[in-house]
Amino acid sequence: MRKIKFIATKEFYHILRDPKSLAIAIAMPIMMTFLYGYAINLDIEHVTIGIIDYDKTAESKELTDAFYESSYFSRPEVEVLDSDAEALLRSSHAIGLLYIRPGFSDALLNGRQFELGMTIDGSDNNLSAAVLNYSNGLVFQFMLDHLPHGVEIPKVDIATQNLYNPDLKSSHFFVPGLVALILMMISAMLTSITIAREKETGTMEQLLTAPVSPRQILLGKILPYIFLALLDGFLVLVVAKLFFGIPFAGSQLLLFAFGLIYVATALALGILISSLTKTQQVAMMLAQMTTLLPSVMLSGFIFPIKNMPLLLQLISNIVPARFFVVIIRGITLKGAGLEILAAQGLYLIILMAVLMLVAAKKFSTRIA
Amino acid sequence: MRQALFGLIRKEFIQVFRDRNMLRLIFLMPIIQLLLFGYVVNIDVKDIDLDVYDFDRSSESRELVQATSANNYFTPHDTVIALRNLEDNFQNSSSDMAIIIPHDFSEKLMRKESPTIALISDGSNANSTAIGTGYMAQIVQSFTKGYYWVEPPLKIRFDVLYNPEAESVYYMVPGIVATLLTMITVMLTSMAIVREREVGTLEQLLVTPIKGRVLLIGKLIPFAILGLLEIVIALTAGVLWFQVPFVGSPILLFALAGLYLITPLGIGLFFSNVTSTQQQAMFFAWFFSVFAILTSGFFTPISNMPMWMQYITYLNPMRYFMEIVRAIMMKGATLPDLTFQVGVLIFYGISIFSLSALRFSKRTA
Amino acid sequence: MSHAVEINKLSRHFGSFKAVDEISLTVSHGEIFGFLGANGAGKTTAIRMLCGLLLPTGGNGTVAGCDIMKEPEKIKTKIGYMSQKFSLYGELTGRENINFYGSVYGMNKREISSRIDELTEKLQLQDLLHRQSHSLPVGWRQRLALAVALLHQPKIIFLDEPTGGVDPIFRRKFWSTLYDLGEEGITIFVTTHYMDEAEYCGRISIMHQGKIVEMGKPFDLVARHKAENLEQMFIGLINERGSSGA
Ligand SMILES: Nc1ncnc2c1ncn2[C@@H]1O[C@H](COP(=O)(O)OP(=O)(O)OP(=O)(O)O)[C@@H](O)[C@H]1O
Ligand SMILES: [Mg+2]
Repeated sequence: MRKIKFIATKEFYHILRDPKSLAIAIAMPIMMTFLYGYAINLDIEHVTIGIIDYDKTAESKELTDAFYESSYFSRPEVEVLDSDAEALLRSSHAIGLLYIRPGFSDALLNGRQFELGMTIDGSDNNLSAAVLNYSNGLVFQFMLDHLPHGVEIPKVDIATQNLYNPDLKSSHFFVPGLVALILMMISAMLTSITIAREKETGTMEQLLTAPVSPRQILLGKILPYIFLALLDGFLVLVVAKLFFGIPFAGSQLLLFAFGLIYVATALALGILISSLTKTQQVAMMLAQMTTLLPSVMLSGFIFPIKNMPLLLQLISNIVPARFFVVIIRGITLKGAGLEILAAQGLYLIILMAVLMLVAAKKFSTRIA
Repeated sequence: MRQALFGLIRKEFIQVFRDRNMLRLIFLMPIIQLLLFGYVVNIDVKDIDLDVYDFDRSSESRELVQATSANNYFTPHDTVIALRNLEDNFQNSSSDMAIIIPHDFSEKLMRKESPTIALISDGSNANSTAIGTGYMAQIVQSFTKGYYWVEPPLKIRFDVLYNPEAESVYYMVPGIVATLLTMITVMLTSMAIVREREVGTLEQLLVTPIKGRVLLIGKLIPFAILGLLEIVIALTAGVLWFQVPFVGSPILLFALAGLYLITPLGIGLFFSNVTSTQQQAMFFAWFFSVFAILTSGFFTPISNMPMWMQYITYLNPMRYFMEIVRAIMMKGATLPDLTFQVGVLIFYGISIFSLSALRFSKRTA
Repeated sequence: MSHAVEINKLSRHFGSFKAVDEISLTVSHGEIFGFLGANGAGKTTAIRMLCGLLLPTGGNGTVAGCDIMKEPEKIKTKIGYMSQKFSLYGELTGRENINFYGSVYGMNKREISSRIDELTEKLQLQDLLHRQSHSLPVGWRQRLALAVALLHQPKIIFLDEPTGGVDPIFRRKFWSTLYDLGEEGITIFVTTHYMDEAEYCGRISIMHQGKIVEMGKPFDLVARHKAENLEQMFIGLINERGSSGA
């Protein structure tokens, strides 16, 4: 026990003596939280739409205002000339152009059929689909407001209710999931690099000749990183609460317990990687490929798993982050309890056990 | 001076080509990442899991449920749990939305009395909720049309340019190319000088009369050449594998890629100058890459961001290159369409390189 | 240009620590000057200042007639340097390393290859030209490093522990090469921890905790301190001053 403490202390000093790296290990998660919270926003706002009004009536003016007064659309910064409207799209000064042909107000007031025209830059298909959706909705509402007297359109009403995140803020979705990424980054990547460094500089050999068992060395080396990982996870959650108003609906104890299991899984991965590599550079590359990338891409953290090809969907089943993302979202946003997350939790525990066994085996055989 | 420059470039290439891991990093990683990203980076909202609570059990309600699966918008599931446990499936993410059809739905529908249905969403995924709600409105609207035979008098006819098939991979591949190019060049150059410092070879180099400027340029050119090679490989792979159309001029894109590269290379050199170990340099490069990717508009439009964040994105050189690659490949943009982006990149290139050159001193103070 | 190296009260502080503390010395042309001192005495720091790698914090001086403070780049054209740690490119072969440094010194292909021929004869480089230098034994590496230091025909060379970790046979050969170079009129400024090597030097200085505490011809110093040999004199001198610097 004292030996473990000794190695852990040494490792702590190692971390503290390199303030630049430490600063990044602390600043990185916080920067990422702000970026994911603010920059990755899928709510469509202020899309620049040019409106070319040939009708020039009170009604066409009203429609124009309706577009620009909604938060979805805004005016382009340059003047819209109908002669070269497409250049506006090509140079990305506008995403869409709405044409109001002559005869618009006439048809509207008399309840006759009329078609507006809209040209959309479709390169970002999600953005163009949203523009299409919102424009349709806006025009439909505009039409309902201007129906001639006595005309009524029966319809099916939809009563909607959005649970957990009634204002539909994207940050609620991304920020808690980020914890999964950051815990993986610190636990798997930093440990694999630090063990590789001891091998590269030859100090590992020195340690092994001392009367400590490989297991004690390992434990001593990873303790500080467990601490750092939990500290980072905590920081992210604090920022999440203070800046993004993420509700903490569920049990914090449950989250902490799952967090520990997840960190253990990540550490096992890190040790496995380090036992396969000899240099820092290779450890870094391998860690990126096997931990960071899958945790971002295949965890459902940003990109829905159901959109992926079947092979990748299958692979996603061995990505620990996939399960932790569901768990942390369930607990922080939706107040899920153990009985609901049992399947995910069990899966994570199995992954952890398998990885730990393999890592322990590889580590002792490689070193001894 | 010329000899020195050529000597440096030759030396750098020999080093890269003798290092297997480096070669893998430079040539294999981008292709793997391109393929992986190409399949994964997709935020299209499809196959929304929809729990169905149908209390009407009429042919009309069944028809409505059937209609939701059109275009793969929704995957309806008949529910077995009680309505009061509706949230369970949200809490473990096995369902995204729930639709409740009341028992008098078909009755009211027949009497043209505007029935109401309820749509309850797991709002934590704001995006899929908003889009799913929109889909549902569309589906219900066209369902209604079938019963009431009313055509709304005012409509929009849409004309979608550039990516009418709405293939997100067409939009993402150019973005991935810009991302990979930035990440790799910053990463490699940030190691360039600090590696020599750590290994000790810089000492011997600094004791020669070589000019600091020449040394920096000699470090830069090999990585610029590798970067350009990289972009050719990535684009070729993208066009051949994902069938991404290339509308504009490849030569213009290549030239502007060369211009852009000065900036990430300069930033990498700057990192290399201010760090003392490779590990620190890797961290710096990594930090920068995360910032650059997230503020570049890579997978979400910049116009969605809060205003102050939009101003920050102007600091990110990759933002401009992202716009350039996409505009040239997808829209066939020409140089006049891109004057702003090109102007900013020239400014950034010159200032960052000068900063690196100023910061680099051959003698430790 | 009276002296090859001439420095006056040269100092280098790291924070409050005085690594080199007001040292003064002169070295004449063609002299083999031995720069001795215990580990951490400040030898490497002093040499790095003389070579224009490190800015002095005080004092002044000239190397090959050029001012240390103001003309470091001009000094670099006139000197050769072998650092304490092997600092050539491990992935490159001997010839590639020499080609590279030749181009850095602005030599063209023909000049480089005729220079390689000369140096091969002088330093027996033939076996190491085609091998990647990280795979070379230490003694071979040091010959390669010396070849690079001599490439551009400098008038003065600074060698920082050129024979560290090298076997006695190689050391003997190495020093006989240095002697030949001395005959050619090249000034050699060399550090070493081997006292037998120090005896080969025309003059030596002994550094202790940043200061030069003794300087002169090796045997004059032995006589002055009434010691039996250089080693005894060195140990006596360092002990007398206290070894807190080690
Ligand atoms: N960049 C630096 N920052 C702080 N201290 C330094 C620096 N470089 C050297 N020192 C210190 O200056 C002192 C002299 O170092 P130097 O390398 O010059 O000694 P040396 O005589 O060459 O020793 P050795 O025989 O071991 O090579 C040492 O105590 C060293 O720790
Ligand atoms: Mg030394």
